[in-house]
Amino acid sequence: MQLARVIGTVVATVKSPGLEGVKLLIVQPLDRHEQPAGTPVVAADAVHMAGPGELVYVVAAREAAQAMPDPFVPVDHAIVGIVDAVSVSALGKAGR
Amino acid sequence: MKLGLVVGTVVSTINAPVFDDRRLLMCDLVDPSGEPVGGYLIAVDTVGAGAGETVLLLDEGNSARQILGLTTAPVRTLVVGIVDAVEVQGAPAAGGSRPRGPRSRRAGRRG
Repeated sequence: MQLARVIGTVVATVKSPGLEGVKLLIVQPLDRHEQPAGTPVVAADAVHMAGPGELVYVVAAREAAQAMPDPFVPVDHAIVGIVDAVSVSALGKAGR
Repeated sequence: MKLGLVVGTVVSTINAPVFDDRRLLMCDLVDPSGEPVGGYLIAVDTVGAGAGETVLLLDEGNSARQILGLTTAPVRTLVVGIVDAVEVQGAPAAGGSRPRGPRSRRAGRRG
């Protein structure tokens, strides 16, 4: 899983069966210093409570679909947690 | 599996149910000598690892679910071991949490 920041929402009326009612958000993947890394992706919100500006963690690949009520849906990134705190040790802060 | 260095923890209250009561560790990916190779993974702890330790990271969903005893869960990455020492081509590499001696200190921490 990776850290990401929710930066927007996506609305799609026409979508694949199984995705009805799934909230889609645009997330910017972050490095562990919480700086943007890579291009934004569209992620399904599996916790139903994430919103723009929030720091979340995202699971990618096949496991993302397993976060949904129906695990056989075309989802490749899912928000599975809203981050309260990231505690990085002194070792980690030094950039090692 | 991959080698990682635990650099911190991630705490969340609102999360998928599978993460309730589980520790999430932020792990830098490292090479056998312990140097970061770039990138990190947030992994579910299964062994009681802590910051500063070199760990074994399992980054495959089916295996992860099997270890957790779950059939459906959005989990892909687990910490499945704490590395004592790494040897490359017969010579000790710098990586590893504890280059020599037994890990008796940890005996009481595993549950």
